[in-house]
Amino acid sequence: MNTALTAVLDDDEDLGQTVARLLMRQGLAAKAFVAPDDVLDALPSLSIGCIVSDIQMGEMDGFAFADALRARDPAVALVFMTAWPTTAHAVDAVRRHGGLDYLEKPIDEARLLSAVTEGLAWSRRQRRIAGATSAFTRREREVFELLVRGHSNKEIADLLTISPRTVEDHRAAIVAKTRTNGLAQLIALSRGGDD
Amino acid sequence: MMTAQDKNAVLQQGLALRLSDVPLLGIYALAFGLLHWAAQPWGGAGFFSLWYPAAGLRFAVLWQRGARLAPWLMASELCVHWITGALPLSGPNVLPEAIGGMRPAFAYGLAVAGVRWLTNRGTGALTMPPMPLGLAALAAPVLAALFIIPLALLRPDLPGTGIHVSLVISLTGFAVGDMLGVLVVAPPLLWFSGSGSVPRNAPLPRPAALIADGAILMACLLLTVALWRAGLGLQPIPSVLAGAWIGLRHGRIAAWFAILAEVALFLPYTAGPVGDATRLELHLGIAAVVIVTWLAGSFADAQEAARTALDKRNRLLFQAERLKTLRAMSVAVIHEISQPLSTLAIEASHLKDRTAALPPDIAESAALIDRKARTLSELVRRLRRFGGRNADAPSALPVTMLLQTAGQMLAPELREHACLLQLVPAPPDLIVTAQEIELTQALVNLARNAIAASADHRVQISATAAGDEVRIEVSNRIANTPPQEGAGMGVGLIIARTIAEAHGGTLTRNDEADLVRFALTLPLAGVET
Repeated sequence: MNTALTAVLDDDEDLGQTVARLLMRQGLAAKAFVAPDDVLDALPSLSIGCIVSDIQMGEMDGFAFADALRARDPAVALVFMTAWPTTAHAVDAVRRHGGLDYLEKPIDEARLLSAVTEGLAWSRRQRRIAGATSAFTRREREVFELLVRGHSNKEIADLLTISPRTVEDHRAAIVAKTRTNGLAQLIALSRGGDD
Repeated sequence: MMTAQDKNAVLQQGLALRLSDVPLLGIYALAFGLLHWAAQPWGGAGFFSLWYPAAGLRFAVLWQRGARLAPWLMASELCVHWITGALPLSGPNVLPEAIGGMRPAFAYGLAVAGVRWLTNRGTGALTMPPMPLGLAALAAPVLAALFIIPLALLRPDLPGTGIHVSLVISLTGFAVGDMLGVLVVAPPLLWFSGSGSVPRNAPLPRPAALIADGAILMACLLLTVALWRAGLGLQPIPSVLAGAWIGLRHGRIAAWFAILAEVALFLPYTAGPVGDATRLELHLGIAAVVIVTWLAGSFADAQEAARTALDKRNRLLFQAERLKTLRAMSVAVIHEISQPLSTLAIEASHLKDRTAALPPDIAESAALIDRKARTLSELVRRLRRFGGRNADAPSALPVTMLLQTAGQMLAPELREHACLLQLVPAPPDLIVTAQEIELTQALVNLARNAIAASADHRVQISATAAGDEVRIEVSNRIANTPPQEGAGMGVGLIIARTIAEAHGGTLTRNDEADLVRFALTLPLAGVET
């Protein structure tokens, strides 16, 4: 059940519409955009899970758009496409701008679909983690991060230079807020799993 | 390393008579005898003849067949002299006379071998054909004449032994006679035998050139006659000038005909009853004319050959340049095609799926469109792999070269827009590590926009160092209308920026009042960042 929207951003409106329709035929919700600003404006109102973005677009290119997007919502997956592929760009797209894939035009349909599907699943996990941990205090978040990496109460107390007793309290609060039952479920949650 | 035995074997093999040489030697002996006899009217005291065509035959054979035939020509000539009775078959001087008879062929072989050897080693204007032939044609008679000195010292029985006036006259007379013979007879023989330095495919002389050369020759001869009538004697200077002019203008063939004309005019006169001293003097003049004319013709032909070689190299360079341009263009075309093709391929695939159940003619059409779109997509991917980053590896590239290449590629647009491209000279030490084709493309795209937008038909490109970067600026003036803000970047500009960023650089726009200026910065090579 993919309720999240996939935004297709390309200054070539025909191609944007075509890719959006292709995704819709696969049962995904998709919408085409021509301008990067339109997508950024739509972020709060639409639940966007994945964005397929062209790299060479007018004044704001795909990478500048990626930075603007990350600042607003880090849980949206990004897939880049380009008609002018370079090795340097491919590396940058994935490393620096958190792109899931870098597609050359003409687009390979199967690869596009798998990238978008993967992107939506990644976004879903990020949102679930964000949702579950949004109620944490700063200290609870620190304890949670260490806990799910397998550290004991004693180790966490040493690392954060607080008493083991305080760690116990934070841990109880974490369990209460996430309504989980035990460490295993906490770890599953930290990975964005489906329980 | 060769042992002495090996060397001996090679030498023997080299000098050995081949079966194919035998008829040649027979004909040679006959022709040599005839030409030798024909030279008699120009004889004098101390030398055989001042006009010795047999030397030309000897030289032509040696030049064409190689110096290895020298010993066999020596033998042939000796036999001819013995048969005709020119040299004694008995008496106390048989051996010295025989050595004297073999001297010319030996000297000619040595001269030909020497010039060939020098040509194979050296480079320069003198080794460019047909200069070696020209040089050998002069060196052989001179060398043959010089060999008279040691032989004369061995002959105490002859009058005027040692360095004496008669010896000088003998040397001069010999050299002059041989030289005239070689330069008049050898060239046509070599041309007809198809030797290496024939001016192949030589264009037929144009009538205008023929008439001009004839007129010049005639004028100079008239001048000679005028000087003669004035009591100044037969002066060679006018003919030297005419020969030099004709040779330099029209090459060896024209030079040879000029030589032939001179010789045909003067030899009948000198064959007549003139004194030995006068004859020698006249022939010295003729020799000067012939030598200058021949060398001028050879030099002109060598220049022509060098120019042809240069033209050929330039054509190859031009082709390589065009190929580079073509590849840069194909990269741009691939980009332009791949955008709409993306749409086409996806829609075609969809159409095929949706029409599969419809009547066959529709379904087949849709399937065909889909298949062709796929083929085209695959082609674009393959072309990109071929002409893209792999084929254009980054290399150290001087910025000045980049600007020049871009300037060449822009030539057609500049002409079309009557636009002037000002390439501000850049420091030669600005070097970037770049994919040449792509970076050139980026620059060309920027300049194209500038050419199209320029209000005063001028576009300026400059490159300056800025810290550890080079800043290439493309600027043009625009009309006073406000710049179209937000009109978006053209696809060319987008590509230029992509390329700049792929090279670790930037593309920015810094306009002034009525000036549009794009700055492409790139990291300089060899600077740690």
